[in-house]
Amino acid sequence: MSDFLKDAKIVVCMGTGGVGKTTIAAGLAALFARRGLKVLVLTVDPSKRLKQSLGLDESGEPRRVELAVPGELWGAVVNPQKTFDDFVRRAAERAPEAEKILQNRLYRQLSTTLSGSQEFTALENLLAAEKSGRFDLIVLDTPPAHHAFEFLQAPHKLASIFNEGVAKWFRAPEGRGLLSGLFQTGTKQTLKILESLTGAEFMGQLSEFFAQIHSWQGQLESRAVESQRLLVRPTTAFLLITAFDEAKFQEGEVFAREIRKGGYNLAGLVINRAHPLWFQNEVAPLETELQRDFRQYYEARRAKIGELKRRLGTGFEVIEVPEQTVDIDSPAEIWEFSKKLEAALPAREDA
Amino acid sequence: MKILFVSGKGGVGKSTVAATLALRAARAGQRTLLVELGNRSFFGLAFRKSFTSVPAPWREGVDIALWDGNSCLREYALHLLKSETLYRLFFENAVSRSLIQVAPGLAELSILGKITSGPPRNVGPRLPYDTLVVDAFSSGHFLALIRAPLGFAEAVRFGPMGSESRDIVKILRDPTICRYCFVTLPESLPVQETAELVASFRELVPDVPPEICLNRWLPTARVATPDDGDRDDFMHDLARRRASEREAEARFASLRTWVAPWILETDFEKTVLQLAGTVAPPHGDAGEVKP
Repeated sequence: MSDFLKDAKIVVCMGTGGVGKTTIAAGLAALFARRGLKVLVLTVDPSKRLKQSLGLDESGEPRRVELAVPGELWGAVVNPQKTFDDFVRRAAERAPEAEKILQNRLYRQLSTTLSGSQEFTALENLLAAEKSGRFDLIVLDTPPAHHAFEFLQAPHKLASIFNEGVAKWFRAPEGRGLLSGLFQTGTKQTLKILESLTGAEFMGQLSEFFAQIHSWQGQLESRAVESQRLLVRPTTAFLLITAFDEAKFQEGEVFAREIRKGGYNLAGLVINRAHPLWFQNEVAPLETELQRDFRQYYEARRAKIGELKRRLGTGFEVIEVPEQTVDIDSPAEIWEFSKKLEAALPAREDA
Repeated sequence: MKILFVSGKGGVGKSTVAATLALRAARAGQRTLLVELGNRSFFGLAFRKSFTSVPAPWREGVDIALWDGNSCLREYALHLLKSETLYRLFFENAVSRSLIQVAPGLAELSILGKITSGPPRNVGPRLPYDTLVVDAFSSGHFLALIRAPLGFAEAVRFGPMGSESRDIVKILRDPTICRYCFVTLPESLPVQETAELVASFRELVPDVPPEICLNRWLPTARVATPDDGDRDDFMHDLARRRASEREAEARFASLRTWVAPWILETDFEKTVLQLAGTVAPPHGDAGEVKP
């Protein structure tokens, strides 16, 4: 048995869209449940079939996955709208105020589409699950990102949007109009420009929104700080999931350096679908020309992976996960996949 | 100017297909700009060059530019305000910068404003190109991009932003200007997501049917039928792939489709060059519009 991630309490799976983050996250969770741990996999935007087959729903509540393992496998789907609404209800000083924000048209759009809000809600769910103390291990699947960095920058980004400075602009003092409270001509000018660009209607909605959020922006910032603290713990391990793609490898290298510099524990780089299963077999005596071409192609890919390993140096693992021949969309297939994942993990050093 | 948007699920080869189509358009004599969206250049890494918002040459007459919401909005505001001082006042202010991030869809609207800035809108600095190939966002984010001007056109009835949005929508729905290519692989998740993308897209842009690029298809002539072997052996792998290809072809039978064969090459640029010499979208290259 590999001792990879042995001390982890939280595993964060990061990577760009389409690389198979959710599958790897579910497979890892099943692997540790097989070893006897009580594991929660927090998924963001799983495929419909995966969600159905695991028996997960939109409630955001952890559900036990029907899988006979020594431990327990639990799954939950992050529901951004519900998470954000709950956060607002908790953060608002008075209940009517919270309801007023929840009714705001701009809020309905902003809470789920704002850059950083998906990441924020994923982290909210992680914090809640961690605080509950119900699980030995939590595997977090992160929102699809164009670039892997987005996830780490997101909480800070979101908090900065709602900083006191911005909100103050839009808060009219009691009984006065929107812009009357502003004494600085520069700021007034700026808002006028914004109004000329967007129209008065939009500005009206925007100011109403900001006038209402002041009660929870402080809490947003403190949650961002709290989640950062959780992410830099030595028992929080990061995995960067990537597909085979030379240019993506370069992104991965930059990312690996950045994430280590940031003080996070980067445990490994997972190259998903590095090669098909047949590539692991012995070379058949009578290979067709086509198979030879494919074999050479995968050998060239393996050489590139080798170069990448050398460039990245030591301190974390590079894991090559073979391409699966079936769609992983039932608990039984996740169980099967977790075995293949286990085989791909680095062997224990003293073994 | 003609505009071709390339989208699809993450990881299906959007950038490969966009670069291939741009190269083909340039070889057909079109002045071509390949546009990537966001603030980190993928083509810069892949071609070992540096690309910014100012177009720079890649090869064979194709220029590449990297456009993100902030830089596009900046340019648009400067054009609209016509005053460097006012522009500075507005954009060099930390508070207004965060404000721009808050406005839902504003970044997307600015990007589309820049992409559609050529004739007939003729807004802002002139782009000296016949064809734009846009390596657009993956499915969900791409739909948000297309929805942005529709949303603004509805929400902001008065003011310059409302009328600009309506003009942008008109261009996006004009089959003599815009084409849309969605890339898929012969695998169940990409096929499913592409089918959903097509359905949502057709509601937003009913007048321009998208075309589907069937990427990484096996070379037809060389595939034999499998013998009885291990279920994880090569021949069964191929047979499975062939079956997935047939399923995908059936799924998109009502749309215009074209095949981009699987190039067994690990280098991105070499893959694009080989593909540009092999594929021939049957409905014309990027610059041509054959409704």
